[in-house]
Order: sequence, then structure tokens, then C-alpha cells
Amino acid sequence: MTTGEMNIELKDIRFHYGKITALDGVDLTLGEGACGLLGPNGAGKSTLLRILLGFLNPAQGEGRVLGYDIRKDQFLIRRSVGYMPEDDCLIPGMDAVTFTAYFGELSGMPRQEAMKRAHDVLFYVGLGESRYRLLETYSAGMKQRLKLAQALVHDPKLLFLDEPTSNLDPQGRTEILDLIKDISLKKDIQVLVSSHILTDIEFTCSHVVILNKGKVAAQGELEALKEIQFSLYELRTKGETAGFLKGLKDKGCRVEKTEDELMKIYMPADLSRTEIFRTAALENVQIRYFIKSRTSLEDLFAETVGVD
Amino acid sequence: MPIAERGYAHWDGTFVERRFPWWPITRLGIRLAFKRKFFKPVFAISLAPAVFFLAGIYMSERIEDFQFMFRGRNGNRLLGVDPAFFKTYFTFDTVLFLMVMLMVLAGAGLISDDLKFNSLQLYFSRPLRKRDYWLGKMATASFFLLTVTLVPGLLFILFKIIFSGSFKFLADYPWIPLSVAGYSLLATLFFALYTLLISSLSKNRRYVSILLFLVYIFSDVFFGIFYGIFHEPAFCLLSIKCDLQQVGAFIFRVRPQYDVPWIYSFLVLTAICSLSGFVLKRKIRGVEVIK
Amino acid sequence: MTAVIRTQSLSKWYGNVLGLSDVSLEIEPGITGLLGPNGAGKSTFLKLITGQIKPSIGTVSILAEPIWNNVRTFAKLGFCPEQDSFYEDMTGWEFLTRLLSLHGFSAAEIEARAERALRFVELAKDKDRLIRGYSRGMRQRLKVAQAVAHDPQIIILDEPLNGLDPLGKRKVIRLIKDFKEAGKTVIVSSHVLPEIEALTRSIVLLHQGKILAQGDIHYIRDLIDKHPHKISVMCSNPRRLAARLVGEPSVQNIQFGPGPETIVFETRDRDVIFGFLPRLVVDNAIDVEEITSPDDNLQAVFDYLTGK
Repeated sequence: MTTGEMNIELKDIRFHYGKITALDGVDLTLGEGACGLLGPNGAGKSTLLRILLGFLNPAQGEGRVLGYDIRKDQFLIRRSVGYMPEDDCLIPGMDAVTFTAYFGELSGMPRQEAMKRAHDVLFYVGLGESRYRLLETYSAGMKQRLKLAQALVHDPKLLFLDEPTSNLDPQGRTEILDLIKDISLKKDIQVLVSSHILTDIEFTCSHVVILNKGKVAAQGELEALKEIQFSLYELRTKGETAGFLKGLKDKGCRVEKTEDELMKIYMPADLSRTEIFRTAALENVQIRYFIKSRTSLEDLFAETVGVD
Repeated sequence: MPIAERGYAHWDGTFVERRFPWWPITRLGIRLAFKRKFFKPVFAISLAPAVFFLAGIYMSERIEDFQFMFRGRNGNRLLGVDPAFFKTYFTFDTVLFLMVMLMVLAGAGLISDDLKFNSLQLYFSRPLRKRDYWLGKMATASFFLLTVTLVPGLLFILFKIIFSGSFKFLADYPWIPLSVAGYSLLATLFFALYTLLISSLSKNRRYVSILLFLVYIFSDVFFGIFYGIFHEPAFCLLSIKCDLQQVGAFIFRVRPQYDVPWIYSFLVLTAICSLSGFVLKRKIRGVEVIK
Repeated sequence: MTAVIRTQSLSKWYGNVLGLSDVSLEIEPGITGLLGPNGAGKSTFLKLITGQIKPSIGTVSILAEPIWNNVRTFAKLGFCPEQDSFYEDMTGWEFLTRLLSLHGFSAAEIEARAERALRFVELAKDKDRLIRGYSRGMRQRLKVAQAVAHDPQIIILDEPLNGLDPLGKRKVIRLIKDFKEAGKTVIVSSHVLPEIEALTRSIVLLHQGKILAQGDIHYIRDLIDKHPHKISVMCSNPRRLAARLVGEPSVQNIQFGPGPETIVFETRDRDVIFGFLPRLVVDNAIDVEEITSPDDNLQAVFDYLTGK
């Protein structure tokens, strides 16, 4: 992919279902890296995904996915896109290898290639040992991995994951999230994750798109979006803090204590943060937690979707 | 490269443009059908009538050997292989019933299972047209139906020629191969569309199986009831079985059983096929890939 | 504080399949998180304490009374199940009022309580729509509404945030915290561990039918001897910091990464390390950007205890 070429480019996309406006002018550009797709229910996420997968023609606007036109080259798009649906889906009576190879074939792979690739992909997602078992015997975590396998079998350049950790126990969740992170580190697979679990998005994605009421409410690199302009640090300490707090205030900081014993320190622009540690050393206070405050994704979401 | 890289690897093959993109679907459908309980015995039984009729062709040629069975009656008249023979096989009550049984076992789940297990999402997120999906499923059903219609029909012609040692049969009735093909196509198309229609109506394969039976059987029962009350042969249009038999009679140039123009039966069958097409189009469009 | 729910040697088998084995615990007012892998016995446990099934061995008592067939105690219990099983042809209002009438309230009270509960979960404007037309999030909120409408003392929620968008989750989390403020006892079962952490520090971890751990997350973490505490420091000169730490006997392990500015070291004696860290940092002119404890959270506790 040459520089300047984005994986997804959408301009002014509009769509209505009868009288209901689902998408009201969506502009989107996505390049490398994993991107999280967020939004309240009814924001237009599913409609957007349908248009990106080439199922719906937008009423207005144009776009390209992987360089293919979303109106004219829908088939070509679907050949290079993998979709991992939210719901359980399987075909009873098949085993994992047959299942995965079958869908590889339907994506356009030659039969033998599909079979070979199915084995590889099943090992990759961790189903190697159970790939000859019937799908009805699979647990929830295994079914989730199977869905990922069928999305990967034809080596897509764009991967859509819809609620990839739903119904998984804590172990299953970490395993799928690790897989997603691993895939997204491959520079040439664009991963788009739609999820309501913000910690998952924070773990796997470097970019986010927040949709609300059919429009893009926020878009960009996660780190950049969460950045706050002024110097604010969050701390947890152990020890007698009275002297510590006074020392900081004397240097010109403003200190707040939140519930849950988190300390927030607003630093003046010309003060180095090492001064916090100097004061702590002086007053014999342990600093057990120290981070530069950023907006949490949750707060960012609430802000952009503008509610409560 | 001394040590191969583990983890995710890209695929460097090329995609193929298949002539029949729906073929994997059919292949899978046939495979899954054979895995179903009771399917193999039922399939074997459904071939039995064809075998019997084949034996009948053999017997009719060697009537002298079997004279003992008939004791004086004109064997030729009893076992003549003529168009009526074909019509009898194709419209045999049991054969039609076995076709429905085959559909119950091989066809009931064709669409209903995909609805139940949400696999339509997986199909349509691939470069697969809805038409291809439909064709694949139709081909699965048609495969089994053709083995009970077209294949025996052609075999009858072939064996008649072989056993009689001459092409006289074809000379007498040159249109027979066409009729065989025509009727087979009609019956296959009808039963396939009928099956897919009912299969798309419910997520529960058991309901579909029952419905496939009931609609077929009750259509005949209703005919029987109304005919019993009103003695009006036009009620035969109600019965799917009779409709097929009427049209079959026409195709094989044999007098139909009921004094009702065959074209009406044909229209009834066509109506059901159209209904199927209409419902399928809506059902498969209606189930959007992403909720 | 007196225990609200007390179980004694609670065990349950289904034929020869183990559900729960020898679970004795006391649950006090406030929020308790219930977690465990699939098949650990969580649903069995919840069914036993809500009196839906009878134990094979052992007793359950709620508010000092045995629960079995105890109608008086049922009235004090609110349960929000994981599955969706509604009467689809009823409206939300009908559903809630009919359930309330089972408690024996007067008609006026039923209306008042239903109104209040629906307003609580923000379903007031959809109360006359058929449940069949409800979205996932609305169904979830209706389930919570029916769990609290009769003002129970004890509220048990099984995967309450499932299917909600981030704003919906916020609302329910706030609701649950309000219950705690009101002095009620809440048990929340979930697979999404970060979400439990947002609610409470007090957990019960079930594994293979038994209690694996119970209590405060951080206290439990301290007790896990096998895994010394990890401390991650992101700073300007990690190698200099590492060099200074290497000579320190309470540092057990030092690792570099992830990323060029981070080191992660392990220690069993955090007091000692945090005691001299500020002085160390200041004296060696190390600009610290971040100090965190990557394995002092619920996911790590879960992983360590269930033996990953």
C-alpha cells in the first residue's frame, strides 16, 4: 500500500431506511492500525458496516474500501474483507476444518488451497487440537475462535469484528483480545472492532471512530484524543501526606483528592514533574501509582455523545 | 531461512473465478444429507420402484420365459412398455410420496438450518450472490429428485432398447426422451421449490419436515373430501399429487385420470412455484447480514 | 457487620455432574462481585441462594432465615437473570405491573412502584410498547427494573451490563452504586472483569465448584506468594534506574520493555522499594513519566489463581 492510500475512505455517506435517517453525512478515512468503532445503539454502526461490506448502496456520497468503489466493486470488496459476526453461527454436522475450508472456497479460493489454509488458520486461532471435532461440541470460546478463523481463511486485508468478546469468560476474553492484538500488529491487515466494552477497545485499538445519530462524532488516534492540554497527574500514595500536600502547594500546584483516594495534581507549566518526587522523598511518602492524566475512553465517549 | 516464522502467515495464492460459484453449497448439501439419520435406507427404498420397473421392462421382452406367470392372458398387453408405462412410473403414488420423503430428509434443513444457526451472515459476507445461494440449494434438492426421475427415465429407454435389441421403441415414440426430460424437470423444479419455500418459513427443521408432509398429504385429503361431497372432478386441482399426475398424463400422451384440462393443473403447480420464488426473494433479502 | 447471606457447606450435584462443592461464605451489605470461568458453578450458586433449587448438602440462609420456600424472604430478594425470557406480547408496563402484583401490593402501590422503577432505568417513555419491539439494551434495563421495583433488600444481578452500550452501562453502574449507598446488598456476576472492578473491590471467585478466593482484590493479590508484585516504570532513562535497582535485594526480577522507555521489575516488598524510589529518581535525575502496577488488578488475580 503506497503512502497516501487509505484503506477506507468515505465521503458524505447518507442512508435512510424509509423515513429514518441512519447515516447523515459520514466522512471517514482509516489507514493502518486497529480501529475501534463505537457508538450508542442506533447510532448507525450496523448500517455503516453494511455499506462498507458492500450490501447497501448509500443514498448519497461515495467511498472506497481497499481501493474498490463501494458501489461498483462490491464483490471485490467482499473478497478481501473478513467478517466476524456477533451472533453464534455454525453449520451443524460439520467439523471445524470442513467448515473453514468451505467458507474459504465460497470466498473464491481453490478447493485444495482452502483446505490447506483452513488448517493453518485453525492452528493460529488455537483450535488446532480440536479441528476435527463436530461444531456442535464446541464451547462458547471455541465458537468465537471459529468465527475468527472463517474470517481469516481467505487472508483478508480488512477485518471486521463485531463484539468479539461477547459471551466469553475472562480467560476466553484475554485469549481473543490477544489474538486480535497480534493480528492488528501485522501492518497490512486493517482491523475494525465494534464493541461496547471500552477496555477491549483500549487494549486492541490505536484509533477510534465514535458514531452518534448517523454522524461521526469523533475520530482519530486514541492517544491524541485522550490527551489533555494541561499538566495533570494522578497519584496514589502511602504514608502521611499532610507535609507532602503542603510542599506541593508551596511550589504552586493545585491538589485535589477524589473518592477512592486518588490524588490529582495540577502542575504549573514551568514546574518539572521531578519536583513531585523530590517533595515525596523529603516527606517520606511512597508514590505507588503515577500517571499523566488522560481522559478515559468512557469519558470521551460520554462527552462526544453528549448525554447525561 | 533456517527457522520458519510461526504465527499468522499470509496466503499467497490466487482466487479463482468459478463457473458455478454455488457448487460448494450443493456439494455440502448432498454430503450433509447423506449424514442424516435414516437417509441412506430411504434413498435406497426410493430407488426400489425404478428397479422394479426396470425388471418389468426385462420381463416384457422375455415374455415367453415368464408365460407361466400369466397363464393364458395376453402378457404383451399386461406388460407392454409404452408411454403409459412411463406415465405409470412417474406418477406412481408411491414414487411421488418417496420424493416427498427424500425432500423431508435431504431438504427440510436447507434453508431453515441456515436461519436457525445464523449462517446466512457468513454466506453473504462473501462474494456470493443471493442467486448463487439459491441455485446451490436448489441444486442440492434437485440432485436427489433427478435420481428418482430423470435417471430412471433415461435408463428405462436405454434398457428397453437393449433388451428389445432394436430401436423400434424410439421409432414408435420419438418424443419419449423429451417427455421424460420435460416431466423430470417439471417434477424436480416443483418439489425443489416447494421444499425451499417451506424450509424458509421456519427456523425449526422439525416443523418444516412436518409441514412438507402435511401440505402434500392434506392437499390430497381435501380433494378426497370435497370430491366425496360434491363429486366434482375439478377439485382434483386441490391435490398436489393429482396435479402432477394430470400433467404427467399429458406429457406422456395418456388419457388423464380426471376430466379436467391439464393446463389448470399446470397453472396450480406454476402458482406454487411462483409463490416460492416470491417468498424466497423476500426471506433471503429480509435477513440482513448485520443486525 | 452482620452477614446478610450465609451459606454453610453448600453443595449441589446434578446426577453425577458437580455444580457446587462445600461453599461456605458470608456476604455482607455492599457490592460483592461474583466471578469464575464457565462451569465454575456461578449459576448454580445463584440459583441456590435465590431458592430456585434445593442444595444436595448444606444450608442457605438469608437475613438469618432459611431461604427454601420462604415467601417472606423472597419478597426481599430481587433477581436479574442472564437470559432473556419475556412475554413478548406484553408491554413493558404490563410486564412490570403483573410481576409486582405477585407481591401482593395494592393497585395504587403497584402503579407508583412501576412508575418509579421505569423512570429509574429510563424506560418510562417506552412503557407502552410491546416487549417484542424492545432493543437489547431496553430489555436489559427492564430486567433490572423488575429486580428492583419491589424495593428489595438484596439484589442479585447476573451479567447486568450485557448488551448495553457504554452509556447504558454507566447508568446501570450508577444505579448499582446508589443501591450500595442505600445500604442494600448487591451481588453482581460478570465475565467482564474491568466492569466488576469499576463497581467493587470485594469479590468471590468460584472455580470448579469451590470458592477459590474471597475478599478484597488487593488483599488477595498480596497473598498470592507465587507471583511477586510487578511494578512498571516508564521514564527517561530506564537503564540507569535498572542499574540502581539491580543491587537491591528486594528486587527479584527486572525486565525491559514493552517499549524503549519502560522497565518492569518484581518485588515482594513494596514498602521498601517505594520507600526509596522517590529519592532514587531525584538523585539520579531520572524523569519519571509513569508508575503502575500491571498485575494488581482483578484480571491478574483471576489468571494467577485459576492457574494460567
